[in-house]
Amino acid sequence: MDSIKYLDPTTQFVLFSILKVMLVFAVAMTGVAYSVLVERKVSAWIQDRPGPNRVAPFFVEFIPVIGPWLTRLGIFQPMADGLKSFLKEDFTPSYVRKVYFWLAPAIACVPSLMTLAVIPFGSTLGNAANKMVIADLNVGILYSFGIVSLGVYGIVLAGYAANSKYPFLGGIRSSAQMISYEIAMGMSVVAVFLLVGDLNLSSVVDYQRGGLHQWLIWKQPLAFVIFMIAAFAETNRLPFDLPESETELVGGYHTEYSSMKFALFFMGEYAAMIAASGMMVTLFLGGWSSPFGSEPAGTILGGLVHIGWFLAKVAALMVVFIWTRWMLPRFRYDQLMDLGWRRFIPLALANILVTALIVAFTHK
Amino acid sequence: MTNGDYYQLLKLLAPEWTVVGTVLAILFADLQFWRNRSVAWRSAGAASILSLGFAAAAGLLIWKRAVTADLLGGTLVLSPTSQYVKLALLGLAIVTAWLCTEGEFTKHVGEFVALIALATAGMMFLVSTENLLMVFVALELVSLSLYVMTAFNKRSPRSAEAALKYFLFGGMAAAFTLFGFSFLYGLTGSIHLPTIAAKISWHAGDPLTLVAIVLVVAGFGFKIAAVPFHLWAPDAYEGAPAPAAAFIASGSKVASFFVLGKLLSVGLPGVGGSGAWKAFSPGWLAVVAILATASMIFGNLAALAQSSLRRLLAYSAIAHAGYALLAIIGGSQPALLYYAITYAVTSVGIFGVVAVVENRTGNEDIAGLAGLRERSFLLSVALSVFVLSLAGVPPLAGFFGKFYAFAAAAKLGSSLGYWWLVALALGASCVSLFYYLQVLKQVWVAPVPEGQGKVAGGWVVSILLALLALAVLVTGAAPELLIRFLK
Amino acid sequence: MPALTDLLFYGFAGLALLFGFLCVANPLSRNPVTSAMFLVLTICSLAGLFVLLNAFFLAAVQVLVYAGAVMVLFLFVIMLLDLKEEERRKLNKVALGAGTVAVAVIAGILIRAVTSAKPAADKLVEGTTKPLGRILFTEYLLPFEILSLLLLVAMVGVILLSKKELK
Repeated sequence: MDSIKYLDPTTQFVLFSILKVMLVFAVAMTGVAYSVLVERKVSAWIQDRPGPNRVAPFFVEFIPVIGPWLTRLGIFQPMADGLKSFLKEDFTPSYVRKVYFWLAPAIACVPSLMTLAVIPFGSTLGNAANKMVIADLNVGILYSFGIVSLGVYGIVLAGYAANSKYPFLGGIRSSAQMISYEIAMGMSVVAVFLLVGDLNLSSVVDYQRGGLHQWLIWKQPLAFVIFMIAAFAETNRLPFDLPESETELVGGYHTEYSSMKFALFFMGEYAAMIAASGMMVTLFLGGWSSPFGSEPAGTILGGLVHIGWFLAKVAALMVVFIWTRWMLPRFRYDQLMDLGWRRFIPLALANILVTALIVAFTHK
Repeated sequence: MTNGDYYQLLKLLAPEWTVVGTVLAILFADLQFWRNRSVAWRSAGAASILSLGFAAAAGLLIWKRAVTADLLGGTLVLSPTSQYVKLALLGLAIVTAWLCTEGEFTKHVGEFVALIALATAGMMFLVSTENLLMVFVALELVSLSLYVMTAFNKRSPRSAEAALKYFLFGGMAAAFTLFGFSFLYGLTGSIHLPTIAAKISWHAGDPLTLVAIVLVVAGFGFKIAAVPFHLWAPDAYEGAPAPAAAFIASGSKVASFFVLGKLLSVGLPGVGGSGAWKAFSPGWLAVVAILATASMIFGNLAALAQSSLRRLLAYSAIAHAGYALLAIIGGSQPALLYYAITYAVTSVGIFGVVAVVENRTGNEDIAGLAGLRERSFLLSVALSVFVLSLAGVPPLAGFFGKFYAFAAAAKLGSSLGYWWLVALALGASCVSLFYYLQVLKQVWVAPVPEGQGKVAGGWVVSILLALLALAVLVTGAAPELLIRFLK
Repeated sequence: MPALTDLLFYGFAGLALLFGFLCVANPLSRNPVTSAMFLVLTICSLAGLFVLLNAFFLAAVQVLVYAGAVMVLFLFVIMLLDLKEEERRKLNKVALGAGTVAVAVIAGILIRAVTSAKPAADKLVEGTTKPLGRILFTEYLLPFEILSLLLLVAMVGVILLSKKELK
């Protein structure tokens, strides 16, 4: 480890950045795989059935107690799922628009991963210059909104590329839905930034670092609710999963996709959920800080604890995402639009106004 | 900026905020209370609110008429002249709003009247600024409102066609204007007109300056419908609902001429070049002289061939844009404003008559006016006053408008360098008499067609038209009454 | 490192030009959707140029508004219109010739102008959110407020024009 100290700062920065990118990517991908498992397990428990409980490599059965227990939890299921995606036949229907058919899954998957770049997932590790965020942008939230808004293209193009009716309807629905809720989402966070006074996400975490009572969820409950519901809509999750609603559109925009291309859409959706959870944790739930208040860590162990807090909060929100899916029925399309445009946007605007007035009168 | 500055800004802009408040009041009343009323009731109601609100704004303007201010890097520049021009704009808007009560072209009159008010707000901002950014934003506010107003008659394909042409040409023109502005900014590092003026003269003759001038003049040439940027005008005048056409022909023209004149004389005085006979040199004077020439010749010749009254008015408007450009060349703001305001009053009056006649007879041709003398004496007299004023017959306002404009151009430069342009304008005016008299021939000479009864507008519109005709007569007979406010 | 920013500038500028060209005259495809997608890429390249000018806010908003919202709706309309005709239409030779001439003339004037222009003194541009917000609410307060009126007009207009007139 000591040899790192003798490199010049730029090289150090580049090295650490690459390391951070690889780590975040690995954690996010593992997170995606196990979110799928959690989804299946939670849905099973809600519906009073066991869920995936068989798959295991042959050697696991030789491990006493823990082995069967892990198998029953389905810990090995994601590996089997992943393998299956790769091995299945990659079928390309003859009538699709080839270029877009190939591009769309990638475009759907990439933006949600890119959003993770600006989320501070920990305080510092080792020394103070080593901040646990890949890109500490001063317009962090705008960057993430910009990238998220590009995510629509994957779905729209998938619908277009499939060259058939149901996927097309799914694509159209999703573009309208995502643009509509992006507005409500953007408006809701404006109030947060009025309080914090900076668009940099690290500053947002700093603002809430003092402990549970400092979290912005208490100061901006309305913004949190709107952001959360808009996040459901942005990630195409139930009760807003109209772009892929099985009962109406077969499978929506990914009806014509198979094997790994289909899996990419799936991964994109879960990665988007993780990104949205990370964003909510950062904005409203104190980011990496513990509920008892934290200073930026001075030791490696402290830094790891902060990362742990962040991951725990994200995991909790992911469970909320999944839980909601199995509890609520789907909205009708006009209800969805009505909710977005006529309820949330005016509410978010009113929230901005009230917050601005409070800030104006209490500032200085 | 301190809180005091914001307060001062709020105070200085009181008339504008009143106008914006009127917009909201109209939208609110129409949406909340008048849902189930008849269209006629709602249009009268909306026009009443607009009149009340605008009267209040006019009161504020008259109260603070002596104000002078230059705030925020020229984004807000007030002078007595700009206040009087705003008064004229408010008056034109009130008349336009009442024209909505003639004929039912849409069910959404509340929104239409609100758009009139929004366009007026844009025009008011447009005439009180010396800042390129503000000019562009205000110009877009006016244009966008007018595009929508043009498309308002959704039962008429021609309205849609007119709006689409107007919008596409307008969007292109806005892009030109903005491109030109960006060059001006690039050359001088400023968007404040006096600062630009101070810096740009170093760049006279620079190709970039010339490109900027051409682009800016082209963009405004569209707004004032000067040849060769006039293509939208005949279709827009013909297809748009009458009040929309009236506002395009009146308020929009006043504001555009005012700001074009200001832009060229305040912002670019050092790069005028020359359009004098045998002494051409590149600069905006040359560009404007070319536009004026083309507009006067083409507008008048094309008007000769028209059978539709509205298209005739459109080509006449093109020709008049040419005459008004002479006042800009002459560099005389009073002449330009007198011309633009009296022309706008005349146009809105003519469109008022057109709206009433079309609404009652459904005929849009000049022939539809046949025998109007027996069907409505008031309309006939008013129309005659307006048309003769457009033709430039003394002692009506149109005559003095042309007189001041031509005189301003003639006085410019040594040894009557612009005599060629003035001579051309005089010749063009003589040609124009022919088609204006064609209209009057239908009114006073042609026999009353079979089965056509009386034509009468609502009483408010009739009173307003009579007042407009009176205004044309009075400002013509005693031009000092108007022009002393514009100096 | 000035060399790196220069390199990035030429990279983004070249990409913007390339994508812009492919947007209007793609030799491989006359599909309007492809054109729209290249326009998206052009917009993203321009955002890159904004970043190089330190205009971070502008860059983010450029992607957020143009690429993320405006172009999606654009795509939406193109897809719903199903412009098969457009794909089959042959290039109009006269229009192509006239367009080339116009472009050549404008390019000539601009190149001459740009080569003769003197670079202005470097001004420190602060494109981050705080200075931008400050300037919007002080120096450019009035245009900023008027833009809200402009949006009101656009909103009223769009709702009216797109809604079906009930007989």
